[in-house]
Amino acid sequence: MRPQALLIRNKLIPLAVWVVGLLVVWEGLSWFLLHVARVPLAQSRLPFVHQVASAFWKYGHTLLKEGGVTIGNAALGFLLGAAAGGLLAVLMSLSVWVERLAFPYAVASQMIPILGLAPIIYGIVRDEQVSRILISGYITFFPVALNMLRGLRSVPAASLELMHSYAAKPWAVYWKVRLPAALPGLFGGLKIAAPLAVTGAILVELMGAQHGVGVIMLRNLYYGPSHTYMFWATVLAGAVMGIASYLLMSLLERLVSPWQPEFRPKGGGE
Amino acid sequence: MGLSVNSVPEIRFEGVEMKYRTAAAEVLALQQVSLDIAQGEFVSLLGPSGCGKTTLLRLMADLIQPTSGEVKVAGKSAREARLARKYGIVFQSPVLYEWRKVKHNITLPLELMGMKKAMREEKAMELLELVGLKGFEDKYPWQLSGGMQQRVAIARALSMEPEILLMDEPFSALDEFTRERLNEELLSIWAKVKNTVVFVTHSIPESIFLSDRVFVLSPHPGRLSAVVDIPLPRPRTPEMRDSAEFFELIAKIRGSFEGR
Repeated sequence: MRPQALLIRNKLIPLAVWVVGLLVVWEGLSWFLLHVARVPLAQSRLPFVHQVASAFWKYGHTLLKEGGVTIGNAALGFLLGAAAGGLLAVLMSLSVWVERLAFPYAVASQMIPILGLAPIIYGIVRDEQVSRILISGYITFFPVALNMLRGLRSVPAASLELMHSYAAKPWAVYWKVRLPAALPGLFGGLKIAAPLAVTGAILVELMGAQHGVGVIMLRNLYYGPSHTYMFWATVLAGAVMGIASYLLMSLLERLVSPWQPEFRPKGGGE
Repeated sequence: MGLSVNSVPEIRFEGVEMKYRTAAAEVLALQQVSLDIAQGEFVSLLGPSGCGKTTLLRLMADLIQPTSGEVKVAGKSAREARLARKYGIVFQSPVLYEWRKVKHNITLPLELMGMKKAMREEKAMELLELVGLKGFEDKYPWQLSGGMQQRVAIARALSMEPEILLMDEPFSALDEFTRERLNEELLSIWAKVKNTVVFVTHSIPESIFLSDRVFVLSPHPGRLSAVVDIPLPRPRTPEMRDSAEFFELIAKIRGSFEGR
């Protein structure tokens, strides 16, 4: 009972105060722009919260359906990108040569603006689903590879020497020591990459697609001020998807590697 | 035990030399060390930092290889001994695998040997009892104090029933009280396990209290400067630390350091 009460007092109440406070300020500012400052197109600049919320509610079904398409493609790309990034990290940790060969390309790949790359990829594959998956994977790949490699290299020398003294085979050193030690790094990469993969998928949709949150976002933007609330609702939906993907990775991290220092109760052990 | 068994020392160094090459120069870490350690003996490698005592231990463990000379373990090479899993090693820090519970830290070497799960967990429980940590099997390493973590490391080192236990300043990061208690516990564990122990330390009283023989090393370059027999009877008791004989041994060892 007590830890729960503490959680409510220390975490949930401040969070609620922040969220409510933000919404109140937003609503007030919006009202100010519209009725006091009387700026042109005031609602396009900062729409009423309650109007956005009502659009969100009213078109919830559409947002859910289109969002599902976006998330589905983003998730698939994310999984492929994470797998490729993890694999490359293992290969780079095994061989300095692989690292020297692959690393400059991996870095250079991140210099290409996604905004330019998306139409190129679409031009090649000519399929909105495939290009969404590819872009999401492409964005995921780098942070996962980089953080995972750092994790694989984080193993203290003495840990490896112990394995050496047990006459452990190289695969056992990886399976029992290097990979578990790399989990915090891997999840660090996944947490960065997950919202980016969602954003990447939406970006591809903005370039022209049949389905997805990005498509209705663009459509409502074109329709102008009359669709302002719906436009904001789609942006909100995109943000919710990004946050959800991040939270999902955090949850997974807690389940898979609960032993990490950041999950330990404050004030040391028992 | 037959003569033929006793005639082959458990560990033998023959003219072992160790040089490190740095960018600037070549450093002689160990100069011409020859020594014999008998089976079941408890010896300490004692000396100030830079004397090569850890290098000596690492050579025994086949973690590094000598520049020249030979390291023999029961007549075979150190590498063969390592591959035959004859060593248990305890470092200065516990080096526990933090994602594994205490008992699974202890069973790791057994997993590598391919022992069945039920058997290795049973073995882990036995070892936890031996090192006085019964009831802590399901804790994670961070939930234990430094002294307890080091006991887990000892239990893990003993799990493969190694013929040789190599300990590299295992208690030097602990406070004096914990260290003395663990010294006594180590001896009672050793009395049950009866393997060969090589114990690296920079504490003269610790080396005397634990050992049958103390190998004194001197720095610059690292070399073996004396071997001192410790004739104190066993089992050793805490009171022995205050005996006249103990203080004489301290003086004797102090006098045996070279280059001061």
